[in-house]
Amino acid sequence: MAALSDFINLYLLPGLVVGCIYALGAIGISLLFGILRFAHFAHGDMMTLGAYLAIIFTASWGWSPYAALPVAVIGAAIVALGLDRAFYKPFRRAPGIVSVIASFGVMLMLRSAIQLIWGVDVKTYDIGIRFPMEFGLLKIAPRQVTIVLVTAALVVALHLFLTRTRLGKAMRAVSDDADLARVSGINVEQVIRWTWIIGAGLAAAGGVFIGIQTKVHPNMGWDLLLPLFAAAVLGGIGRPYGAVAGGLAIGLAQELATYRWFSDEPFVDPGYKPAVAFSVMVVMLIWRPTGLFKGRS
Amino acid sequence: MSLLSVENLVAGYGPVDILQGVNLTVEAGRIAVIVGPNGAGKSTAMKAIFGLAQVRGGRVLFEGQEITRLPADTLCGRGIAYVPQERNVFRSLSVRENLEMGAFLKPGNIARRIAEVLTLFPPLREKLAQAAGELSGGQRQMVAMGRALMLEPKLLMLDEPTAGLSPLYMDQIFDRIIAVNKSGVGVLLVEQNAKQALAIAHTGYVLATGRNRFTDTAANLLANREVAESFLGG
Repeated sequence: MAALSDFINLYLLPGLVVGCIYALGAIGISLLFGILRFAHFAHGDMMTLGAYLAIIFTASWGWSPYAALPVAVIGAAIVALGLDRAFYKPFRRAPGIVSVIASFGVMLMLRSAIQLIWGVDVKTYDIGIRFPMEFGLLKIAPRQVTIVLVTAALVVALHLFLTRTRLGKAMRAVSDDADLARVSGINVEQVIRWTWIIGAGLAAAGGVFIGIQTKVHPNMGWDLLLPLFAAAVLGGIGRPYGAVAGGLAIGLAQELATYRWFSDEPFVDPGYKPAVAFSVMVVMLIWRPTGLFKGRS
Repeated sequence: MSLLSVENLVAGYGPVDILQGVNLTVEAGRIAVIVGPNGAGKSTAMKAIFGLAQVRGGRVLFEGQEITRLPADTLCGRGIAYVPQERNVFRSLSVRENLEMGAFLKPGNIARRIAEVLTLFPPLREKLAQAAGELSGGQRQMVAMGRALMLEPKLLMLDEPTAGLSPLYMDQIFDRIIAVNKSGVGVLLVEQNAKQALAIAHTGYVLATGRNRFTDTAANLLANREVAESFLGG
């Protein structure tokens, strides 16, 4: 029993929480690819930006990071709209690779701006020590519950948006066939703006969750890039629900791979967690490049 | 004043001009058809009007106002709906959602307009919840036309609506085009099945190598021996 509770407390639950965070980032990558047809490499740094925007409120006014989260989401969405206007919109009709390179530039700019404003040191939200809730041998931290529930709520909200609202359906239509959407009278630029708002907003929420879970530093977005793209590829790029499943799968795979499966040693050394995501991505690209949910190749 | 008039249109893709000065008119509430051999520029004429081919000369007027090079959503807003030949439905969206997307610019009264489209295309009634990509070619064409009609357009432009359809569906689609036209919508049609298309049209244009070859009433074109021998397969 102790072994099982250990497995749940130390591997399964953390894997689930990390998976939620990956899912929040990967949704944006997948949505943006579906609409704009390019891989947005600055997406990890959108998460970093969200985490630092929350620090303004936790550090200066002593807000709880949960209270700062909505403000960080709105802030990141506004920044993303500005970045799109300045750096991506001019390349709308150019080949996708031009926008990919532009996103590399944006990635470096965001990171440097964050380092200039907030410095290069590791920061935390100062939540103080909270004791986990104990259910027998199970130990669940309140922040884990919050992260999972808020992510679930955001995914449900996204689903309702995509299936019930005029703009959400238009977003799926543009992702399906942008030329047809244009000649049908759909305002494609409006759809693009909302894709940035949603993608950056969810990324910022994920970034704040990382801060709540561990710590905030300027390179966190760079470290996230690999698992985020692995998650988006696993789910089938261009498929937001696939990205959710992919995020959870990558998060769980990374944590569970370090469990003592076959001996008293971790199966995979924890230092090699990113390699797990990388392996999953490589295997998927070889075996099934459209992802588990039939995305775009 | 004509509903649509195309004057001396020069258009193409990249450096190549496909149309070399084409003239067309569609009168309000009438059907005009463009026929001609492959590569004559029939589809390019429509694409140029909707900004999918580059216009390099001439102009396009709609209800007397110049609309050359205006963005697609502006044209839709003025009352022009366009159904491309291929990839004319949102495959992953349901039939109902496809119709709703046709109404993106005019979000009011969607239920009433969907009901009207279903009256026109009864086979879609049972398919509303199904993904449009799963339908047969003929039903997809109905979805595409239905989506265009959701705009309540004054002019409906159809690019080869019967291409690849079985004769049964072909007849159904021509029949529905007549029905749409009877409700007062002007129709501009590009067709490979020239005889059938001319049979339902008021005016016909025969294009060859990017130029007007014959322009006449549809009945006269059908009766013209030269047209019949060269372009209608005898």
